[in-house]
Amino acid sequence: MAISFTLNGTAKSVDVSPDMPLLWVLRDTLNMTGTKFGCGMALCGACTVHINGEATRSCITPISSVAGKKVTTIEGLSADGSHPVQQAWMEEDVPQCGYCQSGQIMSAVALLSKKPNPTDSDIDDFMSGNICRCGTYQRIRKAIHRAASMQAGKAKSAA
Amino acid sequence: MPSTVTRRAFLGTSAAAGASLVVPFYLPGKSRAPKNPASSFSPNAWLDISSDGSVRIWCGKSEIGQGVRTSLPMIVAEELCCDWRSVQVVEADLDAKYGEQLTGGSLSVRTSYDNLRKAGAAARETLISAAAVEWNVVHSECHAANGSVTHTATARSLPYAQLILSAARLEPPANPALKKPEEFRLIGKPTLRTDTLQKVNGSALFGMDVRVPGMWIASVERCPVYGGTVRKFNAEKVRALPGVRAVIEVKPLHLTHQFGETSGPGSRNYSCAGVAVLANSAWAAIEARKSLEVEWDEGNWAQESTRSLREKMAQLTSLPAATIRSDGDFEKAHATAAKTIAAVYELPFLAHATMEPMNCTAHFHDGECELWAPTQVPGAAAESVRTALGIPREKIKLHITFIGGGFGRRLIQDYAVEAALLSRDAGAPVQVVWTREDDIRHDFYRPAAHHVFRAGFDARGNLIAWSHRACSPSIETFYNGTGISPQASAQVDTLDFPAPFIPNFRLEFAVAESGMPLGYWRSVDSSGNQFALSGFFDEAAHAAGRDPVEFLLATLGPARKIDLGQNRGTLDVMRRRRVIELAAEKSGWGKPLPGGAARGIGIGFGWGSFVAQVVEVSCNPSRGSIRVHRVVCAIDCGLAINPLGVEAQMQSAVNFGLAQALKSEITVSNGRVNQSNFHDYEVLRLSDAPAAIDVHIVPSTEAPGGCGEPGVPPTAPAVGNAIFAATGKRIRRLPIRAADLRSP
Repeated sequence: MAISFTLNGTAKSVDVSPDMPLLWVLRDTLNMTGTKFGCGMALCGACTVHINGEATRSCITPISSVAGKKVTTIEGLSADGSHPVQQAWMEEDVPQCGYCQSGQIMSAVALLSKKPNPTDSDIDDFMSGNICRCGTYQRIRKAIHRAASMQAGKAKSAA
Repeated sequence: MPSTVTRRAFLGTSAAAGASLVVPFYLPGKSRAPKNPASSFSPNAWLDISSDGSVRIWCGKSEIGQGVRTSLPMIVAEELCCDWRSVQVVEADLDAKYGEQLTGGSLSVRTSYDNLRKAGAAARETLISAAAVEWNVVHSECHAANGSVTHTATARSLPYAQLILSAARLEPPANPALKKPEEFRLIGKPTLRTDTLQKVNGSALFGMDVRVPGMWIASVERCPVYGGTVRKFNAEKVRALPGVRAVIEVKPLHLTHQFGETSGPGSRNYSCAGVAVLANSAWAAIEARKSLEVEWDEGNWAQESTRSLREKMAQLTSLPAATIRSDGDFEKAHATAAKTIAAVYELPFLAHATMEPMNCTAHFHDGECELWAPTQVPGAAAESVRTALGIPREKIKLHITFIGGGFGRRLIQDYAVEAALLSRDAGAPVQVVWTREDDIRHDFYRPAAHHVFRAGFDARGNLIAWSHRACSPSIETFYNGTGISPQASAQVDTLDFPAPFIPNFRLEFAVAESGMPLGYWRSVDSSGNQFALSGFFDEAAHAAGRDPVEFLLATLGPARKIDLGQNRGTLDVMRRRRVIELAAEKSGWGKPLPGGAARGIGIGFGWGSFVAQVVEVSCNPSRGSIRVHRVVCAIDCGLAINPLGVEAQMQSAVNFGLAQALKSEITVSNGRVNQSNFHDYEVLRLSDAPAAIDVHIVPSTEAPGGCGEPGVPPTAPAVGNAIFAATGKRIRRLPIRAADLRSP
């Protein structure tokens, strides 16, 4: 049975088993490999995407639960790195091996949409589900603060 | 690239960029000297300057997060006098002409630095010569800058791109003049990485992201006990499940040694026996695998447990072991010491837990095998696959991908052998995808270890006697066989601190036999040894009533160079002292901290670099909680090519070391690893990470040292020593448990 949803603004329909996790639909059915497999149990955050704007671990999310919803993946932020969180990540030189960073960035974007000016403690609470084995955590904190001020600056200049 | 064996530059062509000037050069792969220092020039790397102005470095170094795609171009561009952003490292596919293509041992910059500079300078001088010919002036009247050659007097200028054709006819100088360090414009400047955009927009292709048309995905159930074999399995039932294409047994096969040593009799480095479920998606394969029932012959080690190994190591360290180093007379000095102390330190097995689980893609067809392998050693992967398939090496083509973490795990090639065998047997391209559970349970582990120390002091509180008896399963025996010497099997350093600084010193090692697969975990033996050494040294300082930093410096003695003898070079005491002094100074060592927090120091020397770290912690013993507030890390890595990269590697190493100190442990029951995923094999999370890791780099013009590993060993002992300073509880085992904060 086909399941329809919106992926990065485009309508998609997939004919897969309803219990197939969104992660594998993205990677194996739709060939969208920016979202990563890390643990399969929502323990590491590498597979984080947004569903209707909420940070969600796609590895435990059955595709059936996504029907009719809006999914955003790392590829949906921007290809040229122009999203403020991507920019902050580049300016703070965050990634090392880079494997976890799609998930880190998707979590950070979700955090900033809830708390435009997060404290270190807000960052620790929200981002602790995303493991980085290269240990880029200090630069992630800095990049989130930088993105927050970039977005605040943008909002101000738009106002 | 033509595999021309000549120092001559030559004219290359590429579809993308047209004509190019190609300068061949040589990059040593290992720190060890080659057996036959080649008298003839034998290039394994090429610098390629295209008519569109782009510059490419073709070499065998993989990007595993350490930033070689940034640091290597900076070195070339410095001498070539061009925009470093126009210089790319080409992730070379495996080819014998690139040599062994090893990325490990914190070697990428260390072994490349001199020759990359020479290659850049040789290209620069050749381009200048070409311009001088063009203008009919002498070479010395011209200079290079910003990708152009200029005739200084007349200000005539030609971009490199227009000089390529004429330069290709010239012989590049074998020993071109190199810039003086004070002339550097790029080297030593904090520089952003070049590969970040791909890593923030999802386009970086890791091994797991490889897509080959018609590819099947394999998920492999491996024997839970390493060294076991398959007896039988329910192929029919699983074959009928949705999406499943095949169910195939995977035989265990010997793996080629990653560092090129011969695997002697008794070596145990094999891929695991298993049964693979191949399906049309990873999820279908993983799901169907749950219905697989395999009967195993579990082999000889199905009774091993963490407890049995611990008892074995305790027993072995209660008896004299093989002497690895002996100076003076330990027993005599110990017997007459004014004061003595003793302690036992223990370390667990550790898994690497790279964020990208092991995987590899292979396509075997018509007697050839093409591989897409996230590996630190493409040469060993190809060699392992060659042996497994019994095909000639030239029939193997291997592509390198982005690699989601190495830490030493990807020095071993089991995943490549699995993919190659399965592709052959399935008759289709196959991607082997390990689950996290596979990754945690079938790693090549950092060995568990047991360390027994005894020390004696004179009446003034100076160390006069030190005995260290260590015991662990031996990585070297695992790979090289049982016929090697006790010295070769030992996992202890005989040359460094505190060995040369204590007059009556004894170091012994006993190999504990174990069935566990063993490997190189970021900083290898030092990861555990330094916890024991720096911890017991801190105990010695407190027993002597001395400040730990003062005691370290006093034991090292004055700045000097110590000849290690037997052509082992010299030991530079000044560089060791300086990082300790710098870490102490920057951390405010000796000044009180608020709220019951305290500091501890740890040190680690190796890979051509020197590191000291001071950690600030506070503890709540009744709640069993530990908070690491700040880590101050001083490093002397010689000349720091990219200080921003050095800082990243140190922060990375500290967080890796904190995971070892606070979180991670592999235990074994019935020959099986008990842990399976990040809920029971914990690593550091952002909420555990210190608010600041301040990195201070000692200014230096010494040869560049390694940065990937040397930051790891000091962290865990610094945490343990800080906990002692805060609570009076001595930490002698890792990971640190709540109970260790309370016990006397």
